[in-house]
Amino acid sequence: MTVPIEYYVLLSAGMFCIGLFGILTRRNALMFLMSVELMLNAANINLIAFALLHGNLTGQTFALFVIALAAAEVAIGIGIILGLNRNFGDVDVTEATTMRW
Amino acid sequence: MAAFDFAPAIALLPFVSFLIALTVGKHLPKKGALPGIAATAGALLLSIWAVVAVAGGEYHHAVLYEWVAAEEALSFHFGILIDPLSAMMLVIVSLIAFLVHVFSLGYMNDEGEIGLPRYYAGLGLFTFSMLAFVYADNLLMAFMFFELVGLCSFLLIGFWFRERAPPSAAKKAFLVTRFGDYFFLIGVVGVFATFGTGMFASVNGFESFPELAEAALAGEADVNTFGFAAETWFSILGLLVLGGVIGKSAQFPLHTWLPDAMEGPTPVSALIHAATMVAAGVYLVARMYGFYALSPTLLAIIAFVGGFTALFAATMGVVKNDVKQVLAYSTISQYGYMMVALGVGAYVAATFHLMTHAFFKALLFLGAGAVIIATHHEQNMWKMGGLKDRLPVTYWTFLVGSLALAGILPFSGFWSKDEVLYDALLIGLENPIFLGAYAMALLAVFFTGFYTFRMVLLTFHGEPRSDHAENAHALGWNVKFPLVVLGVLAAVAGFINMKPVEDLTGAEILYLEYWLDGEYGAVEGLTYGAYNTLVADVSGLGAADIGPLLPGVIALAVAVAGVALAWVLYNDPEPEEHTARLGAVRDLWYNNYYQDEAQVWLARNVTLPLSRRADTFDQGVIDGVVNGVGSVSLTGGDRLRRIQTGLVTNYAALIALGLVVLLVAFAVVGGWF
Repeated sequence: MTVPIEYYVLLSAGMFCIGLFGILTRRNALMFLMSVELMLNAANINLIAFALLHGNLTGQTFALFVIALAAAEVAIGIGIILGLNRNFGDVDVTEATTMRW
Repeated sequence: MAAFDFAPAIALLPFVSFLIALTVGKHLPKKGALPGIAATAGALLLSIWAVVAVAGGEYHHAVLYEWVAAEEALSFHFGILIDPLSAMMLVIVSLIAFLVHVFSLGYMNDEGEIGLPRYYAGLGLFTFSMLAFVYADNLLMAFMFFELVGLCSFLLIGFWFRERAPPSAAKKAFLVTRFGDYFFLIGVVGVFATFGTGMFASVNGFESFPELAEAALAGEADVNTFGFAAETWFSILGLLVLGGVIGKSAQFPLHTWLPDAMEGPTPVSALIHAATMVAAGVYLVARMYGFYALSPTLLAIIAFVGGFTALFAATMGVVKNDVKQVLAYSTISQYGYMMVALGVGAYVAATFHLMTHAFFKALLFLGAGAVIIATHHEQNMWKMGGLKDRLPVTYWTFLVGSLALAGILPFSGFWSKDEVLYDALLIGLENPIFLGAYAMALLAVFFTGFYTFRMVLLTFHGEPRSDHAENAHALGWNVKFPLVVLGVLAAVAGFINMKPVEDLTGAEILYLEYWLDGEYGAVEGLTYGAYNTLVADVSGLGAADIGPLLPGVIALAVAVAGVALAWVLYNDPEPEEHTARLGAVRDLWYNNYYQDEAQVWLARNVTLPLSRRADTFDQGVIDGVVNGVGSVSLTGGDRLRRIQTGLVTNYAALIALGLVVLLVAFAVVGGWF
């Protein structure tokens, strides 16, 4: 027996919204990274679920790409956060507003 | 042809003398006079050579420098056109310029004036501009040098800029002629916009605008007339260009600058009046006569402005006391005759009078200059008198010039003025409206004779009326030489076109007419015959058929009557001022019909308030709109930048919201719900 596709889609939508909620409400930059990770993996779930549904491996391949992309993103994100910490002594994103008008 | 290889040098030689006088003039022995004399003599020789070549059946056209070459045949260039008309004018201009340079040695150098390099630089540039204007092959080039001529007259009239009157006279001359030139400029733009060319002659693959206009009237060519009927539009263009002519040639109502221009040195007055500035206007009409000949309206306007100016200026000349003022008004009046001639299609008569007038008016001005030198810069005729015996050369040459100006047989002015009047009468008898112009011109002959001989008698006859006149000093060769040359020319120049004699004897002696009719060599379409056909066929002005004898006798009789009246009134050892007897008329004439006052009134009560309104409009509405746009974007930007918080969270929220909005929009439009 298979799990109906709607459950996958609901799971992924839920994960995405949690990630978005995290980005919109948190002030800690590390939390941002984690939230982004959640959103990316929500997309992965979709890709894999629809790949299974259609019996097509393209979705899985793209999921692999997304994982690689997420790794790269984290690497850059951590770098930015390090810079943030060095310049402002904190990783609170509301502090880093010197670039605005 | 070798003669034309040197054509650019005709104008460039005076330009070189201008540069020399300007740069090293103050180190030269005569402060720049000698290069000027050499340059104008060279230009004269080259011009004569060009005339000889044209007489040999050639004409010359060359494009020297093209600075805009657009795709569709629109070309802005400097080019040279030497045909009978321009060749003749080149000789006149360079001859007068040469004699004026020589005369200046006596008038300026020998009198110990300062600032001479500036003076000779001005003369050189003036001659250069006029020569280049004369052989310009297109309207744009003509306009540019027309303006340069105006600038030079400004510089020279204001030569004694430390005194009070000359700078103001210079400004007036510049502004009044600029006012006319403004219309000319619009006319030039209009001509280029309409025909795509400003060429005077159809040569070397160019098409001339007068011929295009003729073809357009005949329905054979398609030109952009901006929604007007072709005839109306061409009349408008002609009137616009005529604005420049009226300003430069000092025709009513833009004549007021010319009498004031007498503030300049007298040789400059001679140059301005005889050969350059004032002649430029009439010459321009003659140059593009193929265009004016197409419209009877334009011709009638030209004839009337000319006739009116001739009479109007002559009456003012009657009461003036300053010898140069009398001459100034006579210039305005004589150019009026040329306009009458052009207005009645008498191209030859106009050119003829232009030529003879150049000789006798230059002669009279230089003669007046000689008198002024001799009497230690006295210009009031009432303080002269009795100079006949003290200055015999000046007297006899001045007398010749005066006889020519008054139009007395057999001096040059008689033949040319007679031809103008004869041609005006021919047209006038068939087209009564032109009779008015003829009548005014004929009446002006009487005044001309009168004021000319009033001037001669007051200046040279009778007893000396001041110490200066008593002790008139002798004159040098550099004063006498130009006077004698011009005196001879003023006496004999009329013999090249003696219409009454030709009619009487049947001898073929109308050399000037043959010359301008292309018997020797000419550009096709730029001949007297071609213009005559246009005037008769396109404009529909027929000519009566009467002999030139009776009109000639009438003109001569009227002139003699004027001279005789002057003789009766002023040939007295101690002449009286009879002008007081004219009463109110005298005041009117003496104050130039209050023209200056009227123009000042116009400037003060019409132009100034209008400009104020325009200024208010400019400051309020135009600037208001511009400033308004600026401040709206400034405030808008200031408000809008507030959304740029610098908080990543906000940006993310905006992106997410934007996505949602986009999705909802797509959903609504796509009908997903």
